[in-house]
This record gives sequence, C-alpha cells and structure tokens, in this order.
Amino acid sequence: MKSEKLKRGLLVALVWLLILGLWECAYRVFEWRCYVFPAPSHVFDSLVNLLGVKTWFGDPVWAVDAAGHSVAFQMNPKWPLHGQGLQVTGSLWNSQLPAAVGTSVLRLLLGFSISVVLGLFIGLAMFRFKFVDALLGPVFLGLQTLPSVCWVPLAVLALGINETGILFVTVMGSFFSIAITLRDGLRLTPTIYRSAGLVFGAHGIKFYTQVMLPAGLPALASSLRSGFSFAWRSLMGGELIFVLKQEGVGHLLAVGREFGDVGQVVGVMFIMVLIGMAADRFIFAPLEKKVQHRFGLGG
Amino acid sequence: MIQFLKKTFGGGPQAPSTLGSRGKVEIKGVCRQYPGADKPAMSDVNLTIEPGEFVVIVGPSGCGKSTLLSMVAGLAKPDQGQVYLDGKLITSPGPDRAMVFQEHGLFPWLTVSQNIEFGLKMAGVPPDERREASRKALDLVHLSAHADKFIHQLSGGMKQRVAIARCLVMDPAVLLMDEPFAALDAQTRTMLHEQMQELYVEMKKTVIFVTHSVAEAVRLADRIIVMHANPGRVRRDFRLNLPHPRDFDASDVAYYMKTVRKEIDDEVNAQAGASRRVSEGAGNYEI
Repeated sequence: MKSEKLKRGLLVALVWLLILGLWECAYRVFEWRCYVFPAPSHVFDSLVNLLGVKTWFGDPVWAVDAAGHSVAFQMNPKWPLHGQGLQVTGSLWNSQLPAAVGTSVLRLLLGFSISVVLGLFIGLAMFRFKFVDALLGPVFLGLQTLPSVCWVPLAVLALGINETGILFVTVMGSFFSIAITLRDGLRLTPTIYRSAGLVFGAHGIKFYTQVMLPAGLPALASSLRSGFSFAWRSLMGGELIFVLKQEGVGHLLAVGREFGDVGQVVGVMFIMVLIGMAADRFIFAPLEKKVQHRFGLGG
Repeated sequence: MIQFLKKTFGGGPQAPSTLGSRGKVEIKGVCRQYPGADKPAMSDVNLTIEPGEFVVIVGPSGCGKSTLLSMVAGLAKPDQGQVYLDGKLITSPGPDRAMVFQEHGLFPWLTVSQNIEFGLKMAGVPPDERREASRKALDLVHLSAHADKFIHQLSGGMKQRVAIARCLVMDPAVLLMDEPFAALDAQTRTMLHEQMQELYVEMKKTVIFVTHSVAEAVRLADRIIVMHANPGRVRRDFRLNLPHPRDFDASDVAYYMKTVRKEIDDEVNAQAGASRRVSEGAGNYEI
C-alpha cells in the first residue's frame, strides 16, 4: 500500500520533470520568445535572484548581430556554462523574497484575525436573531460576490494609500464570506443537539458554550478555511495595486510586470500558490478533517 | 437490586425519592394547532399516567405522539391545556424528565462517558461522583469496555444503550423514549427490548414510549394508548396484565400478544386507511 503510493508519487514527479524538460528544450532548440512566457530556468533564475543569488541558468540576453546591434532578446546561448557563475548579492534573509513573504504574512494574520472576529460575531448574530439576518443577510450575500480588488478604489479614496487601506481590502474580501458560511453551517447543525442539550439541563451561557459552540465546530472550521483563502486572495490583489514602502509578495508581482520580467511574474505567482496551499494543507484542512472525524463525518 | 440502583443514581440532581411514588404524568385537554392549518393537529388529549407505569403510545404518523412526548419533556408547549408532572405544571425541560431520541442525539464531540455525565455536569455534580455514576450506568447497559470511545465508533444499538445510560444517571421521575429503536435492525431491536425489560424491572420508573410498531408496544407495555390522526386524539387505552420481564416466546404470553396485537392492528389499520383518505384532500403533515 505504502510502496504503491511511493511508486505513484515517483511517477508523477518523473512526468512533471519530463514536461519541464520539454518546455525548457522548446526555448533552447526552437528559440521560443522567452519575454512572452518564461522557460522553467528563467523562473528559477528570477526566484533565486529574489533570494539574493544571481545565476545565469536561463537569463535571457540580447543577441548581437555581426555589426554589433542588439537584434533579439533570447535565451543565453552559452547555457549553462557562462557568465560569472553563482554570485551572491546579499544575505538570504535580507533578500527581497523572504522580506516580502514576511510582510504579506503579517498583513494576512492581522487582516484575517479581524475578519474572523467580525465574521464570527455577525455570523452568530445572523443565526441567532432573525431580524439581524433579514437586515444583513442579503447585503452580505451580495457583497460576498464582489471581487475583493473592487474594494481597492474605495480604500484608496477613503483611507489613502497606506497599511490601513490594504488591511481594509483584506478584511472586506474575507469577512462577509466568514459570516455567511458560519451562519449557513450553523443552520445545518442538527436541531437534535439543541433538544438534547435542553433536556439534559444546559441553560443560558452553558447552552452556548457546552452545546451550540461544539455543535457548530464543523461550520466554524469550514468558514475559517474558506475565509482564509478569501483573505489571502484579497491581500494579494490589494498588494498588486497598492504601492507601499513595505513590499509584500503582491508588490514583487507588480514590479516583475513593470520591468517586463516575465520570469519573476510567474515565479512570484508560484510562491503565492505555495503559501496558500501550505496554509490550507498544514493548518485548515487538518483542522477541518479533525473536527469532521470527531463528528463521524467524511470517514 | 433496587437498593443498588438508588445508591447508584441517588447522586443525581434530584433528591433520592421513594421509587414508585413519583412520576405521575397528567395531560389535560391538550390542543395544538399549526398556523395556516385548517384542522388542529391535536385536539383535547387527556391522559393520566401513574407512577411506575410503562406506557406505550402508538398511532399513525401525524397523530401527534411525538409532539405529546416533547410537551412532557418541556421542549414544546401546548396551545391549550396543561401537562403536569407530580402535580407541577411543566413549562420547560427539567432533570426530572430524561429523553431517548430516535436519532440518539448523543454529542459527537464527547466520549461515551462524557456524554453520560453531561446532565450531571450541567447540574453541577462534582467530577468524581459523575465518573462513578457513569461507570455504573455503563455497567448496567453492558458497555463498560467502550467508555472512552467516541460516538461514531459505536453501532446503532450501542448508541441507543448509551442514550439510555445518559438518562439513567439523571435518576429522572419519567423516562421519555421517542421511537428509540425504530432505526435499528430487527435483531438489535429484539435484544434491546429484552434489556429494556430488565432495566424496567430493576428501576420501575414511569416510562412513556412512543412507537409506530404495534409489536414493540405489546412486547414492552403495561398500557398501550392508541392515537388517532387528523386531528390527533386518544382512540383506545389498553391495559396488559402480563408480568415483566416477559418471555416473548412463552405460549400464554404469545397468545395474549397475538390477541391484543390483532385488536390494535385493526384499529391502526382502519385509522391509517381513513387518514390516508382524509389527508389526500386536507394535506398531510408529519410530526
């Protein structure tokens, strides 16, 4: 069983290596235009460059004709042995990428925390009080469909181009979804838990802490999970547009675009996916799975 | 044995009482009407249940038998009429009434023993006493080996036994059972009928048991209330003078069961036919 899994994993890795190899070859052999879409080596170059290491694996160069004029931007023909070899341009931790990741993660944690507190509070109120639900439910459902970058112009005008503005975008992009998902999840909680709690003497605050809260854990876990991915997407969208002193991952993407560095653009996208996946895989999916397992749901 | 039970479950929120002297349930003129329905769902239901009686309520769906149980539990309120327990008006759930639900209603986030201790915990009973009580209750339903399991790890029959143990630790005056064995397979149900008989003989509490199975009613009851649907009301009130625990296979018991069962079957079938005809025109609702 385990070796079966290992075999399949190895096969998947092998096929991906093959695809990347063919992709790279297309640039080397057929001279694809590397400024339109990057070769794998180009992406790798850009990423290590952001980590403060200069390599020339896929660095595109200007080809020069016999008269000494630059004629085409292309893959370095002398690859892989050319240039100055590896060149460390700064310490790893002070380089651009770790700093940007740190900045973005800090913003994310702050924004997500605010979203969670607001979202849980309002989601619970919408579940508990019919009037609150009638008042806010439709509005929240509508605002939830608004793409989060659409909050950016408002944030710029109302709050200015600063940390508060970007925080606003992150919170607005995620908190409606947290509130709505929590409300819907709580509505799906079997009423039998309420009945059983009441019959066995859970009153007042105890009813909420000992029955409703644990009964709502699956709803809470899935609302946190989807809320997190909303917050991450909103923040990245916000950083792409906001230009602040503290550079986040989104800024690296914007910078890549401005300098026409397509390798950096794709590389930073890759990093964004990696961070989002890591958070989901190592924090939120296990959390949800653990709760569901306890409830005997989903195996 | 009764002495043992009193010692075991006397630690509950209720002061230990002389068994048999509490658990009198009076249902007086209860009516229930759903908004928008032209007919009442339940009309003028009167019933007095004596302490220690095992009463089974049978009837077609829509007759209000489960709603009646919810009213005794204090989870639902009658639109008219009152429900009393030992002379006190029932307005809300209380530790003197415990309930076994059809879908067990155990908390999946707690272990088996934590589920059993839940009611005592809410009543502020100290942890060691709770643990002792749940240990004894688990012993009584033969589940001692499963104390630390979670609910989803148990079979359907085991879940219902835990649900029963959760009620027993409360030392309630009345045990309410809402189609508790309906979702189980036939073999498990028979086994639980036997265990229920043993438990009833040991504790002699008032039991109100709702079911749609006439066979189940005849197996367990001292008294069978047959209810009628559209509107829900008491149709027949049978008394069975068969001793507990019952040997379901003994010839006289089997004969008696057959006779009573036929009588009730006729009643229920006639009603079911009638209510089907009525409901085609009037709209049917499940309770």
